[in-house]
Amino acid sequence: MAEKLIRAAEAAFTWRTVDADLEILSLETGLVMSDTAQVRGAEQGSPRRYAFHGERLSVEIEIDEDGIVGQLTPPGPARVTLVTPDGPQAAADADEVGCFTLPAPRPGPMRLDCQRDRDRFLTEWTST
Amino acid sequence: MVDTPEVGRLVRASADGDQEAWNELVRRFGHLVMAVIRSYRLPPADAEDVYQTVWLKLVEHLDSLRDPEALPGWLRSTAMHECMRQMQRRRRTVPVDPQSDAAVNRPGAENIEAAAMRAELRLALRDGLAELTEEDQALLRLYALAEPYKNVSELLQMKTGSIGPTIGRSLARLRQTHALRRYLGTRPAAENQKGGDRLELAPLD
Repeated sequence: MAEKLIRAAEAAFTWRTVDADLEILSLETGLVMSDTAQVRGAEQGSPRRYAFHGERLSVEIEIDEDGIVGQLTPPGPARVTLVTPDGPQAAADADEVGCFTLPAPRPGPMRLDCQRDRDRFLTEWTST
Repeated sequence: MVDTPEVGRLVRASADGDQEAWNELVRRFGHLVMAVIRSYRLPPADAEDVYQTVWLKLVEHLDSLRDPEALPGWLRSTAMHECMRQMQRRRRTVPVDPQSDAAVNRPGAENIEAAAMRAELRLALRDGLAELTEEDQALLRLYALAEPYKNVSELLQMKTGSIGPTIGRSLARLRQTHALRRYLGTRPAAENQKGGDRLELAPLD
């Protein structure tokens, strides 16, 4: 097997966190597709939608080549950071209705790290 | 078969923050994760993303995975789910069109009709597989790859001797799926007869 893949798998361990107050938000099973995608079939450039849920926070995002547009539920300010296996890529402040925008992630695994007051939430890793 | 006590020790040590133990888990189970991913025949970049995602997810599941016997099954099913997600994504950006599908219109391929029939069988097999349990799917995908029984045994936690008969039963269930029955029902009787023996999954790519 390619050495590169082994290194990447070994490096995954650096993401181990022992923060007991952390909540992991799970990706909703089955991709949420945009209406246009359902009607017109697969189409380059139509946004991809993902929803992550936890007990105290949910995040819905749409990703296209222009970037990520997202919203937190319950609404309210939070610091949202786009993270890839290489580390944090960009951060944005969600506004009072919980909306935020971030640049488009590179292909490959990504997650969002949401900090609201003292609470921290991480979405599951997912490839986009 | 997996050395369960040793794997248990590695999982517990990893959960306690031991990078060396983690590396050993990667070394032991990496090829098995890759075997599952290979069976989906994703583009290489997608396969690499899935591979990395599986390990990133395992990092977070170490605490809930203290039963070491659950590890191979967890890796297998996580890899399968991630491959399915990746395929869904692909399907949205790469429409499958028999008129332009490279797999159908490969230069030098047999005539159009034969190519269309192969494409039809491929779709029937894919839909048929989706009707089966995760265990049947995993086994048949590995079988289609001609994965050595030793690997199949380790990955699916099956005794080597029971793999052959189980494959036979899984293939029988595949033939009984709606998708395969529909496919076989539309073939002429003579073809149908032969078809039963030819369901070797080879056109799954």
